[in-house]
Formats: sequence, C-alpha cells, structure tokens
Amino acid sequence: MNVRLTKVALAIGAPLLALALAFAITSLVLLAAGDPVGEVWAQIISWPEARNQVNILNNATVLFLSGLAVSIGFRMNLFNIGVDGQYRVAVFAAAAVAGEGWLPGYLNTALAIVCAMLAGAAWAGIAGVLKATRGVSEVIATIMLNFIATALVAYLLAKVAVREEGSNVIGTAPVPEGSRIPGIQMWSDIPTEIYGFIVFAVLVGVAYWFTLNKTRFGFELRATGRSASAAVASGISVRRMTITTMMLSGAVAGLVGLPILFGTSPYNYGSTFQSGLGFAGIAIALLGRNHPVGIALGALLFAFLDEQSNPLQILVGVSPDIVAITQGVIVLTVVVSYELVRRYGARLEQRRVAAQLARESAAAKDPRPTTKEAAR
Amino acid sequence: MDDLVVHGPLARPEGSSLVTSLSRDASAATGEVAVRLRGIGKRFPGVIANDDINIDVARGSIHAVVGENGAGKSTLMKILYGVQPPDSGTIEVNGTELALSTPADAIKAGIGMVFQHFMLADNLTVLENVVLGAESLHGIGGAARAKVAEISAAYGLGIDPDRRVEDLGVGARQRVEILKVLYRGARIIILDEPTAVLVPQEVDELFGNLRELKREGLSVIFISHKLDEVLSVADEITVIRRGTTVATVDPRSVTSRQLAELMVGSELPTPQTEASTVTDEVMLSVRGLGLRGPDGRAVLDDISFDIHRGEILGIAGVEGNGQSELVEAVMGMRGGAEGAVVLSGRDIAGLSTRARREAGIGYVPEDRHRHGLLLDAPLWENRVLGHQTREPSARRGVIRRRAARADTQRIIDAYDVRTPGTEVPARALSGGNQQKLIVGREMSADPVLLIASHPTRGVDVGAQGAIWDHIKRARREGLAVLLISADLDELIGLSDRIEVVLRGRLVGTFDPSAVTPEELGSAMTGAGDAAPTTTTEETRG
Amino acid sequence: MRRTKFTAALAVSILALAGCGSSGSDDGDSGSGNGGGGGEGDIKVGLAYDVGGRGDQSFNDSAAAGLDRAADEFSISSDESEAEDGEAEAAREERLRTFAENDYDVVIAVGFAYATAIGAVAPDYPEVEFAVIDDSTNEFDNVTNLVFAEEQGSFLVGAAAALTSESNHVGFVGGVQTPLIEKFEAGYTAGAQAVNPDVQVDVTYLTQPPDFTGFADPARGKTAAQGMFDAGADVVYHAAGGSGGGVFEAAQEAGGRAIGVDSDQYNTADEAVRDVILTSMLKNVDVAVYEFLSDIDAGEDPSGTVTYDLEADGVGYSTSGDFLTPEVIEQLEGFKEQIIAGEIEVPTAP
Repeated sequence: MNVRLTKVALAIGAPLLALALAFAITSLVLLAAGDPVGEVWAQIISWPEARNQVNILNNATVLFLSGLAVSIGFRMNLFNIGVDGQYRVAVFAAAAVAGEGWLPGYLNTALAIVCAMLAGAAWAGIAGVLKATRGVSEVIATIMLNFIATALVAYLLAKVAVREEGSNVIGTAPVPEGSRIPGIQMWSDIPTEIYGFIVFAVLVGVAYWFTLNKTRFGFELRATGRSASAAVASGISVRRMTITTMMLSGAVAGLVGLPILFGTSPYNYGSTFQSGLGFAGIAIALLGRNHPVGIALGALLFAFLDEQSNPLQILVGVSPDIVAITQGVIVLTVVVSYELVRRYGARLEQRRVAAQLARESAAAKDPRPTTKEAAR
Repeated sequence: MDDLVVHGPLARPEGSSLVTSLSRDASAATGEVAVRLRGIGKRFPGVIANDDINIDVARGSIHAVVGENGAGKSTLMKILYGVQPPDSGTIEVNGTELALSTPADAIKAGIGMVFQHFMLADNLTVLENVVLGAESLHGIGGAARAKVAEISAAYGLGIDPDRRVEDLGVGARQRVEILKVLYRGARIIILDEPTAVLVPQEVDELFGNLRELKREGLSVIFISHKLDEVLSVADEITVIRRGTTVATVDPRSVTSRQLAELMVGSELPTPQTEASTVTDEVMLSVRGLGLRGPDGRAVLDDISFDIHRGEILGIAGVEGNGQSELVEAVMGMRGGAEGAVVLSGRDIAGLSTRARREAGIGYVPEDRHRHGLLLDAPLWENRVLGHQTREPSARRGVIRRRAARADTQRIIDAYDVRTPGTEVPARALSGGNQQKLIVGREMSADPVLLIASHPTRGVDVGAQGAIWDHIKRARREGLAVLLISADLDELIGLSDRIEVVLRGRLVGTFDPSAVTPEELGSAMTGAGDAAPTTTTEETRG
Repeated sequence: MRRTKFTAALAVSILALAGCGSSGSDDGDSGSGNGGGGGEGDIKVGLAYDVGGRGDQSFNDSAAAGLDRAADEFSISSDESEAEDGEAEAAREERLRTFAENDYDVVIAVGFAYATAIGAVAPDYPEVEFAVIDDSTNEFDNVTNLVFAEEQGSFLVGAAAALTSESNHVGFVGGVQTPLIEKFEAGYTAGAQAVNPDVQVDVTYLTQPPDFTGFADPARGKTAAQGMFDAGADVVYHAAGGSGGGVFEAAQEAGGRAIGVDSDQYNTADEAVRDVILTSMLKNVDVAVYEFLSDIDAGEDPSGTVTYDLEADGVGYSTSGDFLTPEVIEQLEGFKEQIIAGEIEVPTAP
C-alpha cells in the first residue's frame, strides 16, 4: 500500500467526515424544530457577495489571532481560557494609549501595539506565575482573571471615557486619524475594506510557525506539552516555560482586538466593542489543530458561518442561533473525527513499522523466521 | 499428545536438538488437566499477540509461562481471565469448553488473577479489601471474617484481617491479593510477574505459599521472566516466543541458560565484568547529599560517594528507598537538595538540569516513557530532546532538522535501533529499541558521567545484551557510570563496586566479585548482619 | 505536517461545498421572510433589534408593538433581525446593509448600539429611510434619530416617589452607568427634590460599561435594592431592564414600593410582585416607531432628531393598580404642565 496515498486519504477523510457529521446533526436539529432544511442550507452555503467576503476576511483576521493565542497554550498543554480577558485588557490599554496620541502617526500605532502586547502578556502572566509557583490550575486562574478583567476595564473605561453629546455609547478617545491602519480596498464598488492589520496577522502566523517549529524555544515548548516529565529530565525548566508560554499567549491575545480598534469606526474602545472573541478562539484552535494554516481556515469557516447568520434570519426567517449550533457541532465532530482518524492512522503506522521490520529481519537473516511469521 | 511437547517453529530440525532432549510428556506426572488451551490466537495491529497457543495446566501443579517482554504472555493471560476474547482457539476448564467474555465469567469458572500492580485500597483493612466487590459471598461481617481467617490458615498465608493495608509490607500485600482471589472461590490462580516487586527473602516466602496452594489441589499459573525462580518453583514450564508456544519443558531437566535460549531463540549475553578500568581520578564526588520529602521526612540522608573515571558504581536497594531521588538530585531535577555534587572538580550542585547535562552528564532514566522520550514525536525529535542547546541538534537557537536527522540515523546504525526511519514516532518502537535510542542519544554528547537507571528494565534479551555492551564500553572509554538496578545479577555483573541504599541512606558497600544476591538482599531489607565492607551499618526500626 | 494536510483538505472541502451551494441558490427567493409583520404591502420595513429581540418584554418588544400597530393600519410588510450579545461592529453594520441591499424601503435600528453602524451605512443608501432609537449623533437626510426625554418621565416618577415616601428617603437603581441611564437618574432626583428639597436619594449602578450584565442580573438588582430598603428608603425606582425583577422582589420583602420603567410594569411583571409597583416611567418606543412609520406612509421624508417628550406623549407615568392617590396625580399633572410649558427645566445629567 502506498504510504503517501494513505496519508492523503486520511487527511481528506477526517475533515470530510467531520463536516458530513455536522451537516447531518444540524439538519436533524432543523427538522426537529420544523425549519426549512433545504432553504437554510442553501442560504448558509451560498457564495457570499463581495462586501460579505470582505467582512468574512475581517472577522477571520480577528478570530485567527484569537485562535493563535489559544493554540500557543495548547501546544504546551496549557488551557488558556483567559484570552477573552487578556484581549480586553490589552485593547483597552492600546485604545487609551493611542487615543492620547502622544506620538505622531504610526509611531503612535506602534506604541499602542506594544502596549497591547505587554498588557496581554502581563495579564496572562499572572496565571502563569500562579501555575508555576503555586500550582494553581491555569484554567481556574484565567477564568477568574476574565471576570476581573471585565470589572477592571469597566472601571477604567468609566475614568477615561469621552462622552459625546447625544450619544449613549461611551468609549475612549478615538485613535487619531494618522495612526489608524488603512484598509485594503479589494473591490472598488463596495463600501467595506479589508483590515490593513491582516498583513500583520499573517506575519504573526508566520512567526508563530517559525518559533514553534524551528526554534529551540519552540522545541522546548512542544516537548513540555508532550511530556512535562521528559522535559524536566532533558533540562527544560518547566516553570519558566509555563510563565513564558502564558505570557506569549497573552501577548498574541493582546493583538486580537487591534484590527477592530485601528481598522473600523469608531476607532476606540467603548461599550459596544465586540466581546467573546477569546472563547471563539478556543474553538478555532481546536478546529485548526494548533497549526497556523489550520487556524486560518478554521477562522475563515467560523467567520463565513457568522456572516451567513444575517441573511438567514432576514431572508429565510430562521433564528441565527442555528449558526451557533452549527459551529458548535462542527467543533465537536472535528475533534471526534480527527481523534478517530489519528488513532486509525497510528495503528496503520504501527502495523507498517512492524511489517517493515519483519521484512527486514526476514531479508537479513534467514534460517530462523519461519513460514508462520512470514505469513503474518 | 505430542503437540503438547513441542509446538511451533522449534519443532523444525534447526532448533530441535535442544528441545527434544528437554521435552517430556507433561501430563504423565500429574492427573487431570485443569486448564486446556488449544490454538489460541489473538491479533492486534502491529504487535505480536498470540498465535496457536497450546498449553495444558495439570490440576495441583505450578505451571510457569515464560517469555520475553512482548512475547505475548500478558495477552494470553488476559484472554484466560476474560479481559479480551481470543480471535481463535478454545479454552477448556476442567474438561468443559468455556467462552470467557468478562473477568466475571472467569471468576465464575474458578479462575483468579493476581496482577503485578496490586489493586488494594491502602486505607482499608485487609478484610475490607478482600470483601470489597464480593459482598454477596459471605456478607461483610462475621461470616466474611471467619472465611478470611479460615483461608489464611488453610494456605498458611498468615494474614491478620484487621490490619490496614498501608501498614503491610510488599510481600504481605501480595498475599492479600492471593487471599482475595481465593475468597472468590478460585481454583486456578494466575500470578503475573509476582516476584518483580519482591526481595529474595520474600520470594522464598511466596514460593512456600504457592506450594501450599498446590498441595491443596489448586493450579497455579505463574508468569515470569526470571528463570532461576521459575526453575525452582514450577512443575512445568511453557516457553512463549513471538506469540506462540515453542516448548513445554520439565524444570528438572533444563538449565536456566537453555530456557533463556528457548525464549530468545539465540545465544544469550551475560553481564560480565571485564578487566578493571578503574582509575584514581575522581569524576563524580557526592558529599552529604540530603533531600526531604513533602512531609518533611528525609528521603535522602547524608549520602556520600565517589565514582572514578572508568568505574561503574552500582546502587542496590528495594524500590522506593531513595534511588530515584538520588538520581534526580544528582541530575538537578529535584529542588531543595543539600550537599555537594562535584563533577570533575566543579561543584554543580547549584546548576540547573540543563547546565548539568551540558557539563557532561548522560542520563538514561528509569522510566523511559515518562522521562526519556516524547512518545508521539518522531525519532529525530527524540534525538534532540535533552540536547536542544547543543550541536548538531541546534545552532544559535534554531533546531537543525537535517543535522538532527542525520545524527539520529547515525545512532540508529551504531546502536542497532530497529526502525524503518527517523520519522517514525517513538511509540511505534519496541521497548528495547526505544532504550537503545536513548542510550545512543545520551552517549552522543561525549559525557563524562553516565547515569543509568534500570537500563534494561522491560527490554528484550537481545537489547539487554547490547545495552550492557554499551555500558561496558562507556566504562572502557573512561566514563564514570552510576548504575541503579533492581536486577541483582545485572548489578553484580556490571559494577566495580556496589552501594546498598536503605531508607535514603547508604548502608553498605560490597565487592561484586565476592557478594551473592542473597547477601545483597539481606542488606537491602535491613535484616542483614552480613555486610563485609560496611561503612555505615546502622539500620533503624 | 500531517496537520497541514488535514486543514488544507478541510478548506478544499468547505470551498467545494460552498461552490455547490452558490450555483444552486442563485435564483434564490429574497424576501420570503416571515418575521412578524403584516401582509404584503407597498412599504418594506426592516427592523433591527438590539440584543434580546422581539419577546424581551421590554425595549425591543415596545418597538415591535409600534411596528405591529403600523402594520395593522398601513400597507406595510416587514422583516426583523436581532443582535447577538457582544457582536462586532461589522455585524451590526452588515445587518443594516442586508436590509438596504435587499430593497427594504425603511430600516429601523433599535438601540444606541447601532449609532456607528447607521453612520457608516446610511450615506451609501440615500433612497432608504433609516431611523435609530436612543441616539442623536447622526445627521443625514435619510436618518431620523428617535430620542426620548427620559429625564422628564423620570422627573414625574421622582415626584411621585417623594410624595409617597413616608421616610423621606428614596432610591434609584441603574442597570449600567451609561449616559442614557444617568438621564433617568438626573430626572428622578430632580423630581424628588422638587417635591421636597430635603429628600434623601440613594443612587447605585449595577455595572459599568462595557459590562452590560447590569441589565440582566435580577440577583444583583435585588441586593442593591435591599441595601437601600435596609438603609431606610421606602420607594426605589429602577432603570435596570431585566434586573428590575430583583428590585421588585426586594421591595416586596421589605414592605416598600418600587417604580418600574420603560413599559407599564404593573402589567408585565410577575404577578406576585405587582402590588409593590407604585407606578412605571413610560418610555413609549412604540409611539415613536408608529409615528415614524406613519410619517413614511403619509409620504413624508422625515429626518433630523425627533425628541419624544411629555408634550409628544413619548414619556409619562402609569397609574395601573391605582396606587397613586388622586392628590398625588394632581400634583404630578401640575409638574407635567410646568415641564411642557418650559417652567421647569429638567436636568439630563446628574
């Protein structure tokens, strides 16, 4: 059997299996609810219009960063649930700093980005330090820090908020015009632009890939994730790795809100700023198997589904919750089907190794291996 | 009945001379057959399981099943205990063919199993442990207590039903396990590697108990790879190799060496010390090493020793007396250790594990799955592990895949690691090949000290010999070697000097050329008055 | 490496699925919606709700009521869409665009969260009439800002509270401390002090933005109100959306009184606590929506900011349950006239 061919078949099989299952389960939900299954699917999988495509790319940029942040933790078996709190603390810090406009133009932008990363890293670092020194589960610590982040940001926002006459929205001072990141106009006849930040997001994805897969630091991170005990024995300081990894995850989490801050009106952080991005990141990291390309695809898929929820409600008259259900089901089926395929693949691999060794030993020596073994 | 005598490949001419001379008609000596296995087969992907297994266990006998790790003994016993169904073949108990699909079926058929790892609740009493899960038999009160006492007396187990399990020694715990099985009405008892956790004296006691069981008409199936023990206790021995029964032999007419050769199918290695290469130059000097456990108790207490260039220092001890902690303290994996650790003149006690490794320590950990390997990572990444700061694995913070792969291939060739390539995940290799890879890796950075903790535990005999050779070569090349092992033959065979560790203290120094396993065993349990060159002889409690 | 392939395949399969979909639905049936409006008509109305949507027993429902009334009387067809909690700015924008792109004539955005989105979308669709409730920041020819003089209605219930209070001590529980809710507070305090300059007014907010859970946390509302009752207040006014239920419970347990908000809560609150609801400050979003649609139906081209105050009957107080005595009502009507006449100027910020 051709090894490569098998691998490719397995590779295609897993996502197909997952999507087919998700499709089936969601259809059942629709049937049970008495909604028009055909129409819903036709709408969900219809090709989006140009402006929707832009929206999808934009939303995906944000989700991609969130997924990356979560997956850095995942690679070390750290469950950073706190990306949500980290990005809010970070984007608030960036908005507050950028709104002040201490530096001119893009220097201001750069300063704000650095501030956001530092704020995210510091916030996540608290959970890292607690885990490394006191053994507090990072799951508990980050959940608690999410609550604290919510309250802290609310408190600080009330202090620095700029209130506009006639408006009920409160927010930080808008980022000065010269410090905003211009969008990329993909099609001239549509009103929406792609976030300029997408370029930065791609760079972050590349940096993630390089750091984790090529550097010593990445090796140590992955090794610790695979086996903390083996990492200790091979001279890796698991404590330091825990803190560093949480901080790195937090730093990337700090970028999550920035495309929105710098790329879309009202260019500030306020009461209507998008929330819940950190949790979407967890699903997307799972979906993307912690690989940057996978995360990008997962982010695109989620953004695509999100985008379809509007016409679904307006044009088909079905609650957009069906989209949330579909997303949830996809995450579940993907996790399950990848695990199934992984196990199946591992068994194939083991069998292949055994078979090859048997062949080799049969070829190498000879009198001994009997007909019985050869037949196996 | 000739299929009883010799099965499988050895029936063929090339291997048969030895076997035919050993074989005899097993069923002649004893009466009825308690368990008859015929043509048992079980296939798992990629692993040798069972293929055409044929065994007859006579009633009132001790029947040993021997074979290398991975030969298929465990699978066979799981089949017999109803944990897994066979793909083919039949199981007869007392002449009736049975389908055992769960352990409950097996228990009903009178089959009981004592696992290698005890399944006892430490904080319960013996009685409670025995009754647990079998409350329907004799209740949990007086009747159960009477039954336990009766069984204990009948088979000479000597167990007080009201003692807490946590207060019992290893040997006594094992007897509780046997009691549990008997309480459930077993007439056929399977013991999986029962002596692995025992010191020689306890082994003798266990064998006494087994003979008692036999006298009462019970059948014992005894799984082991310690051939001397098997020869001393078994009435019959079945050898399994590569999943199939290759021979059933009479212990009175076979030597352990012959048995081993049956198991391996080839000539055997022995751990034999070569001419001494010990020099005057101290490579590792440990002074006053101490370590406290989480409860404040001393796990290591004032340990001091030197290892010279070209010397192998063996550490003997019953497991759990501080060997692991000693190794981890020297490696810098445990915080809070006191005392000095001087490696070639430089105190490394304050250094991190990485710095110690870089200072020239190679480390073969006792649990290769937990400490030695990333099981799901490819071999080349495992080659990098622990050497990620050094050439050729890395340069300027970047992992050099190509160089790492090339060097992995070098290790594979030099250390005879059987693998299809460097991309295979470590999990796919057998234990012996995994261990050879680890040894190769640890030797690759030119260490001055090699710490080898149970280096041949759970590896096949072929790999065992190879690993012994590598350790001996390391010694010849002037390394200092710290060897920890539970295998006394291995310690005696390889070491230039043996220290015995008991409750975190070094309690005696022995010359391997003049010591017997029994003497070592006495020192290990603290019972010994025999300690020829004892440096510290105090034992407490 | 294996992962890369997996995910690549994932993308391919998704794209393939998506491709099939689009070819099959090109001739799609836009506007087959069945949101909740009346039959087919000349004017197509799109209603974009805030979080909660139709059925929230509050703000959104009030807007829905206005739409339903208009649909009954005029030739209108409508579709609806609701916001998700914490959604992106782009999502709100896209909701409005979807309506505009699908040839809706009128798009009504319920809630100030749509302020930025309206500003971004309205200029692109000059032929579509937009309306936004509770915001007045946008100035376009095709945008009508529907805002309310909540401070005026709050003034009246503040006066009612002070007139009813025996301990001369009243309270205010705000859901989230936004400028909007501060308007309620300012009016309420002014009303109470107009009756009795020495009245003590306790004020508390449940959360600070951007944490909007203060509008949906009855437990927290109850705790806050309990604190006020314990301190001696005997009438507490809430402007806290869903958290108000807790305020009512606290009032019942303390034997005090509570004042509802937005709609006549005597009719909508849990029966067990109705009897503590002294009155409710009415914010007639339905009136605003109805009148806006009525103008459209009449062929007008509304724009600018329309403030629904006491004079326009956009805000007021309820008398259900008859807990307000005729004397109190008489005094409140007196205040109302004075406010309409401009003799009393109600502050909009505390």
